[in-house]
Amino acid sequence: MGKVAFRGLFARKLRLALTALAIALGVTLISGTYVFTDTINASFDRIFQASNKGTDASITAREGVSTDQGTTPTLPQPLLAKVRAQPEVAQAEGSVFDIATVFDAKGHKIGATGSPSFVGSVSQLARFRATTVKTGRFPRSSGEAVIDAGSAQREGIRVGDRIAVQAAARKTTFRVVGTVQVAGVDSFGGSTVVDLVLPEAQRVLGKVGRLDQIQTAGRPGVTPVELRAALRRALPPSVVVRTGQQQAAKESRDIRDQLGFLTTALLAFAGISLFVGAFIIFNTFSITVTQRIREFALLRTLGASRAQVMRAVLGEGLVLGVLGSAVGLALGLVTAIGLRALFKAVGVELPSSGAVIATRTILVSVLVGTVVTVASALAPALRATRVPPIEALREGVAPTLKGPSRLTTILAALLTATGVALMCLGLFGHQSETAALSLMGGGVAATFLGVALLSPYLVRPLASAVGRPIQRVAGITGRLARENTMRQPGRTAVTAAALMIGVALVTFASIFAAGARESIAKAVDENLTAGLVVQSDDGFSPFSAGALAAVRRVDGVGRVSPIRFSRAEGRGPSQDLGKPSVTGVDPATFRSLYQVEILQGGEQAMRALSTGRVAIAAKRFAEDHDLHPGSVVRLRTPTNAVIGVRIAGVYDDKGGLLANLAFDNRELAREFGETKDSFGLVGIRPGQNLQAVERRVKAVLDRAYPATDVLTAKEFKDQQSGQVNQLLGLIYALLSLAIIVSLFGIVNTLVLSISERTRELGMLRAIGTSRRQVKRMIRWEAVITALIGGLLGAVLGTILAVLFTRPLDGFVLSIPVANLLVLLVLAGLAGVLAAVLPARRAAKLDVLDALAYE
Amino acid sequence: MSAPSSAAIPSVATDVRVSATDVTRVYGEGAAEVHALRGVTVSFPAGRFNAIMGPSGSGKSTLMHILAGLDRPTTGTVVLDGTELTSLGDKELTELRRDQVGFVFQSFNLLPVLDARENIVLPLSIAGRKPDPEWLDRLIDAVGLRDRLTHRPSELSGGQQQRVAIARALATRPAVVFADEPTGNLDSKSSTEVLELLRRSVDEFGQTVIMVTHDARAASYADRLLLLGDGRIVHDGGAATPEAILDLLKQAA
Repeated sequence: MGKVAFRGLFARKLRLALTALAIALGVTLISGTYVFTDTINASFDRIFQASNKGTDASITAREGVSTDQGTTPTLPQPLLAKVRAQPEVAQAEGSVFDIATVFDAKGHKIGATGSPSFVGSVSQLARFRATTVKTGRFPRSSGEAVIDAGSAQREGIRVGDRIAVQAAARKTTFRVVGTVQVAGVDSFGGSTVVDLVLPEAQRVLGKVGRLDQIQTAGRPGVTPVELRAALRRALPPSVVVRTGQQQAAKESRDIRDQLGFLTTALLAFAGISLFVGAFIIFNTFSITVTQRIREFALLRTLGASRAQVMRAVLGEGLVLGVLGSAVGLALGLVTAIGLRALFKAVGVELPSSGAVIATRTILVSVLVGTVVTVASALAPALRATRVPPIEALREGVAPTLKGPSRLTTILAALLTATGVALMCLGLFGHQSETAALSLMGGGVAATFLGVALLSPYLVRPLASAVGRPIQRVAGITGRLARENTMRQPGRTAVTAAALMIGVALVTFASIFAAGARESIAKAVDENLTAGLVVQSDDGFSPFSAGALAAVRRVDGVGRVSPIRFSRAEGRGPSQDLGKPSVTGVDPATFRSLYQVEILQGGEQAMRALSTGRVAIAAKRFAEDHDLHPGSVVRLRTPTNAVIGVRIAGVYDDKGGLLANLAFDNRELAREFGETKDSFGLVGIRPGQNLQAVERRVKAVLDRAYPATDVLTAKEFKDQQSGQVNQLLGLIYALLSLAIIVSLFGIVNTLVLSISERTRELGMLRAIGTSRRQVKRMIRWEAVITALIGGLLGAVLGTILAVLFTRPLDGFVLSIPVANLLVLLVLAGLAGVLAAVLPARRAAKLDVLDALAYE
Repeated sequence: MSAPSSAAIPSVATDVRVSATDVTRVYGEGAAEVHALRGVTVSFPAGRFNAIMGPSGSGKSTLMHILAGLDRPTTGTVVLDGTELTSLGDKELTELRRDQVGFVFQSFNLLPVLDARENIVLPLSIAGRKPDPEWLDRLIDAVGLRDRLTHRPSELSGGQQQRVAIARALATRPAVVFADEPTGNLDSKSSTEVLELLRRSVDEFGQTVIMVTHDARAASYADRLLLLGDGRIVHDGGAATPEAILDLLKQAA
């Protein structure tokens, strides 16, 4: 029986290749993602291992709430003396390290785009140094700096050249006295790193009198664990003591967590591709089982059991799955390189040093690919077992597939309803973010499946509608193409449904992005009354508070209002608040530069912020957590402070600038440790020319704070839209994989249908149909199938987008009709592409052979 | 039977519609070589009903395929309606089959997705031409399927399907109609209908028909009987009764 399965499999090499590829592409993204992120993690692990290798115990400030990009808490410098005074400590030294912007001698920003640059302090003691000198020497005075050899090489910087750095302090110029390596490698995982002497690094980073970390070495005979214990006893609970190894592990874990989102997102796209691939596998097996009904019946007459028939079909699935997964795994290694290029293209450069292929990568890739394939072949295999032996003896009538049974239809409707219900629950219910995302994801998948199962009913009317104009243009070839797609509605439906998924997600993303752009534009137009906006040149990073202080002094500038962001966690009067995001504002100037409606607490609510320990809450956040003016919440901040905060009011911010809770900026500096600004709203004095003021502000910033940009409201709008488009481009690129998989499905279905219709094609050729007409017919067939998928996808995607944007406050729903029409045209063109190979095959058929074909 | 249409009768009785000269056909190479035709010279004048018979492997199907431009002779020439076929490329041959030749197959070979009327006019649709409504009317009446025109092949009996196929073959008023075992899949009542229809197409419309069959009763409807044996013509004679034909077949065997 095994032989039978494999003969069937390898007899049709093209089908084998196409089906295996349908699975392989999804697996490719899985293995590519793992190799990609493992490689990044490994290169960071090495850096952290190297930088902590001489440290027995490491001391850092306890983080109250981990923040994504906010400032991390620091240690007071006097703590170092206390550490040194401990009898177990042989040596101890403090260091600082933080994000900064680095410029070459000409003032051009250096460093790979998207990958942050850092400034750190060089230890006086070799054992605590993360780096080794490659050329030159370490800095000895405040005007000297070393730079990583990787950046030096890329930017053509040599010992003796000048570089400039800007972080919290204004731009400062240094002389390069050396280049350094970490763990013997030139590159710090893609980042640019500049090391200065400690006092200068503290000044540049705005950490005068503060330290990020204290590294210690124990006296002979004191183990790292004993040293850690001694330090824990001696030091206050506001600090964390780890052994050097633990510290390295912690730093690795932090990077992993940050990259975790990327891994999850990429794996989600891999899941989409596999989901689409499953449709292709199911369809291919359904068609081939139908075509081989007589063969199975014959096997049954000869005494094969149902289980044997089942095993034969599933065996085929197993081989196909393993084969496809293996190909996918191999392609994944290539893709890991491609992913790097893709992220680089959209401005995110990630480090890598030799591909890391973990056992987990191989296991997961092969297992997932194989299980999906075998599971997709299950239903067709079951149908193969139900072939009665009598079918073998039935002559003349070709066995055909029945339409969806009543049971299938009911199940499909139920599945769709369940999917919609799950989505609604995820969207409008009250549960954790993860639970909501799982509910929505599951809901979308169920809806796709349900609609796919229902789509055979839609194929006839849709094919009829789509085919009519084609028939008018193309005549008989269009007419035949239209009829051929309606001949086996189930088959066309599954083929189209595979494309539908990709198109629906593209539609969804397009509508979401269009809405986001509209919303930003509306917010800027309606809420932003400031003439200019100052932000980091990457558009999102916090920047030195000095920048806005400098802007305030520029001639023609009126009010300046900084915006800060942070995070907290805590409890409300009646329930847990989760991890609310926090915005800092300047109560005196904010409302004159930005329109926000105070719903409760009255006009004095904003002024009350200045009194301290007072916040105002966003409408939805207040509703969800039962907060009213007068409510008191307890919050833990990133600096590990616990504060009681009175809610003074509730606001409705249609512009979406303010987060869950808004505080006074001074409170953010005092209690949250956030001294950097994320945005600066800049008003223009009456009678001043906007462009002229912008030029003057720009000149000041370029001189002292070149890591910040000033934008007019319109430029700000365009820049924000640009960020949305960039993200959209990335999503399109990842979704294109699912669409390519679905095109394989169209190719496969066409090839199989053509082989079924060989005699018919022979007759058509015999009575005078030209090869070109045959090709045209196949092409139109593919176009109609693709357009059905495109239409279903566009409609489904639109419905999903409308549903998903309901709970978003202030979201402007805007359907990009022109984009969707282009998408449909592209779907049609994709159909033409998918038809190339099948059409060529059909046209090449020998007339006499085809007429004699059974 | 109505009077033959004067318009459809060829002006010259000896007008030759299709002819083969010294045609041979060899399949395979070396030890596997099969000589399907070993030098056949024959011509078919217009307006006659020809039957080609012969045992399996006699070369009768090969001859028909070569005459119809579906297969190429190894040596020799074929002229169809004044055109020499052996020098034509695939494109010209396709157009010639579309415009000059009609086909009736054993297994009907209708398109299941088209209704009876659409199947009849299919060769015209492929050529991008409109059917002549008068001719189409006569044709539909002749095959007796006026009330079945909107039915798809799956809703028609075998005999009805084959009548649609004959109407399709006649739709372009081709120089020759080739019928390959047209009654092979039919019961005797349907066979009679189909054979009478082919006969009428010759008598009433002046059509030239070349039919390959191994059914003596079918061959008895023809004006002329060709018998093939081992790649050669072994008999070329006039109309005969089924009994006489069976005798001839016995002699040839």
